[in-house]
Amino acid sequence: MKKTYYLFNPGRLSRKDNTLKFTPVDESGREGVPKYLPVEGISDLYCFGSLDTNSALYNFLGKAGISIHFFDYYEHYTGSFQPKEYLLAGKMQISQTNHYLDRDKRLKIARKFVEGAAFNITKNLRYYMKRERDLDQQLNRIQSYSELVAAASDIPSLMGIEGNIRSTYYEAFDHIIKDHAMESRSMRPPLNEINTLISFGNMLCYTQCLDQLYHTQLNPTISYLHEPGYRRYSLALDLAEIFKPILVDRTIFRVLNKREIQSKDFDFQTNRVTLKESGKKAFLKAFEERLNETIKHRTLNKHVSYKHLIKLECYKLSKHILEIETYKPFKIWW
Amino acid sequence: MYVVLVYDIGERRVGKMLKLCRRYLNWIQNSVFEGEITEVKLKELLANAKKFMKVEEDSIIIFKSRDERWLEKEIVGLEKNDLDTFL
Repeated sequence: MKKTYYLFNPGRLSRKDNTLKFTPVDESGREGVPKYLPVEGISDLYCFGSLDTNSALYNFLGKAGISIHFFDYYEHYTGSFQPKEYLLAGKMQISQTNHYLDRDKRLKIARKFVEGAAFNITKNLRYYMKRERDLDQQLNRIQSYSELVAAASDIPSLMGIEGNIRSTYYEAFDHIIKDHAMESRSMRPPLNEINTLISFGNMLCYTQCLDQLYHTQLNPTISYLHEPGYRRYSLALDLAEIFKPILVDRTIFRVLNKREIQSKDFDFQTNRVTLKESGKKAFLKAFEERLNETIKHRTLNKHVSYKHLIKLECYKLSKHILEIETYKPFKIWW
Repeated sequence: MYVVLVYDIGERRVGKMLKLCRRYLNWIQNSVFEGEITEVKLKELLANAKKFMKVEEDSIIIFKSRDERWLEKEIVGLEKNDLDTFL
């Protein structure tokens, strides 16, 4: 399987001998020992440090089908360079739009996303209840919320239910995670360690979904649960709902409870908390391990990684849109 | 598939071989590469190598392993290039 590379060090990435050469640069501008990355074995690059490049490199990456995702100083996702679309399909585009415009059809898909997300959330809670956490109350409330999903008659009320489920779920975080307090969800900017990790993790999940969508014929800008907006790939947000509990939240519980990330890995500023490089690396390592972890798939009867599960989800969605098979959201079954 | 590739190639062609291998695998020592690669990509690499190799003089040896974890690797002295994906 092709690998993802994470670039933390500032440096220069260039095309050399038809492959990629990365020359790290230190604070005083001195160049380090260059490293060659095998172009045939790269799936994508995540760029956290500052990177010097030129258009020749982007031309080369475009031909090799490698995308780069960029993140700013506060680990926000700022954008991607993606090679030109290679799986164009007009038919898919038309049916996808059609499913958005038809109220009933749109609601049907949107419900599935919330249903999948709620199911995976309750699964997480159940897992920790077995480990002697008192989560009965939150679980019951989430279950009563998810019963409302089928009856929701429009998108805003569906979004409302989804929001209620999420906020109840976040209340449970304080019981699951030792040593750190979640308080409440704060975004833009996150105000404590757990919120920082949630923001960072969700963003990774979102880019991961976007990356998988790119390899299917779906158009990432036409979404169902989230309102399609300008300049954002909202279908990736829809998909991310289902995978956030499995990929992001579980990773957060792991890194904090196993003390792989501690308070010293955070940078506390007056009105925001950010991850230090050590924290980012530790989280990415855990996240990467999670993505590459394999499970035995029931219907495909073979081992698939969590990363591949996202792609399978895209395939299921395309089948639904082309009206071949009704979409069933991914529900964790173990 | 995880492979270790070593080559012994005439001085005049060795640069070409180095550049070719860099595209597919990670350099770990002079004339030695290793990394994850698919069967097809390996075939592609070898087909490209054969274009400039002199088969009566040069050789490539490939050690194949199903997965990285079945390869026990021991380094004595300086590790010239660690194969981390976090740069």
